[in-house]
This record gives sequence, structure tokens and C-alpha cells, in this order.
Amino acid sequence: MRPLRRRTGEGAAPAPDPLAPLLAEALSLAGQHEAAITAFPVLADRLAPVAAAHREHATALTKLVRTPEPSGSASPDPSASPSPPGGDAKGTLAALRGAEQKGLKSATQACQAAPAERAALLGSIAAARATHLEVVR
Amino acid sequence: MSPEVLAAALDAEHAAIFAYGPIGVRLDTASAGDARQAEAGHRARRDALVLRLTELGATPPPAAPSYTLPYPVTDRAAALKLATEVEERTAAVWRAALPETTEADRATALAALTDCAVRATRWRRRAGVSPATVPFPGRVA
Repeated sequence: MRPLRRRTGEGAAPAPDPLAPLLAEALSLAGQHEAAITAFPVLADRLAPVAAAHREHATALTKLVRTPEPSGSASPDPSASPSPPGGDAKGTLAALRGAEQKGLKSATQACQAAPAERAALLGSIAAARATHLEVVR
Repeated sequence: MSPEVLAAALDAEHAAIFAYGPIGVRLDTASAGDARQAEAGHRARRDALVLRLTELGATPPPAAPSYTLPYPVTDRAAALKLATEVEERTAAVWRAALPETTEADRATALAALTDCAVRATRWRRRAGVSPATVPFPGRVA
């Protein structure tokens, strides 16, 4: 009996680009900061450059990701309908810090695993997320 | 992996260590503490690079006796500006090492890039520069 094996040749669906989750995360982070600014305009000075950076990261990642995400995929753009942050500004900032910390970890892992041609961009994204922790407080 | 990128990083670390001398004497007490910590961080990177290059059979480039500063560091504002630029320049060198490295060397380069980016942001905050962050640390415009 032949062993069952997933077909990887012609006809198989292309593997998702390993950067697709990082792109979704950049959009999600941008959306979370933008929602926080809407809820607490007093935070705009601090958070607007951070939100803009995540948007720029998403743009750069979109150019690299091999197959664009089909519409209606499992990870819709979270910035389209950002959930309003609950609680006060202090709690919102704490939640944003948690999201940045998680994002720093995933960008660091992505950079570590990346082929040479993606390493510099991913390194800058990881470093940027680390700097966000300095200002999102 | 070619030792040249690590030698370039070592050159940048030598220059950073030198620059923090004149920077430190122009800073207020709190900022001077940050400068001492930053200098210690660069010294640790330098020492690790010397070891790694030796391990790779390369000769680590020694520090120059002196480095030319881009402008005289005569006051706190100039010191904060130079400290920011030193971190930006060192970040760029480490970023350039990323595509040339793998595994432990890649991890070192990324940690160094991240440290430089965070320090640059702290110096911008001390200087009152807004925004204190840049979208792509280490990327040369």
C-alpha cells in the first residue's frame, strides 16, 4: 500500500507567504492605534506617528508578499472595523503596549527566519516596534 | 558569512564608543547616566565582535586613536543631536549586516539594530524631537 502523501506538484494550492501573518498584524496594529486616537484624541500626538509607521510597514510588506490575500480570506483588514477600545486612556495604552510587545516578538522571529533579501526590512520593522514601546506609555 | 560585515559593525562600534566621550561631558545628570549605559552597550557589542571575528579567523580592526566629529559638541543640544546620529549610524551598519548573516550572527545583528533604534528614540525624546520614532530604523534615506 502506498503511503498517503499530500500532493505538492501541479494543482496544489500555493503555500501562503510566511509574511502574510506579519502583514495582517501590521494592519491590525495600525487599526488599534487609530481606534485609540479616535476614542482618546488627547493621545493623537503620541500614537499618530506609530499608527503611520504600521501603515508604512504594511505597504512595504504588501510589495513583498507573493500572493495577495484573496478578498474574503480568513484575515480581513481589521482596520476596516476597529473595535473601540474599552476603559480609559491608561488601559488603552496598556493594551497597545501588549500588542506592540507581541508584534515585536513576531517580527523578530520573522527576521530571524527570513531569506537574505527580506532580512533588512523585517529587522527595521522589529526595531520600529521596539521603539514604539518607548512612546506608547 | 563574510567577516567584512562584522568588521564594518566593529568599526561603527569603535566610533560610537569614542563619540560618547565628548557627548557625556555636555549632558545633564540624568542624560549622562543614559549616555554611560549606551556606551557600555556599545562596548559589550565591540567585545563580542572582537571575539567573533577572531573565531572566524579574521583580524578585528582596531579602534582609531581619534575620530572626527561632524560638529563641535559644545552644549547639551549638540550632544543630544550627536548621540541620536551616532545611534542612527550604528543602526544602519547593523541593519546592513542582516542579509549577510544567519542564525546566531543574525540574532546578534538584529538585537544590536533594535538596541540602537531604542536608544535613538530615547535621545530624540530627551531632545524634544517629535516624532521620537522613525518608521524604518537603520534604513538610509
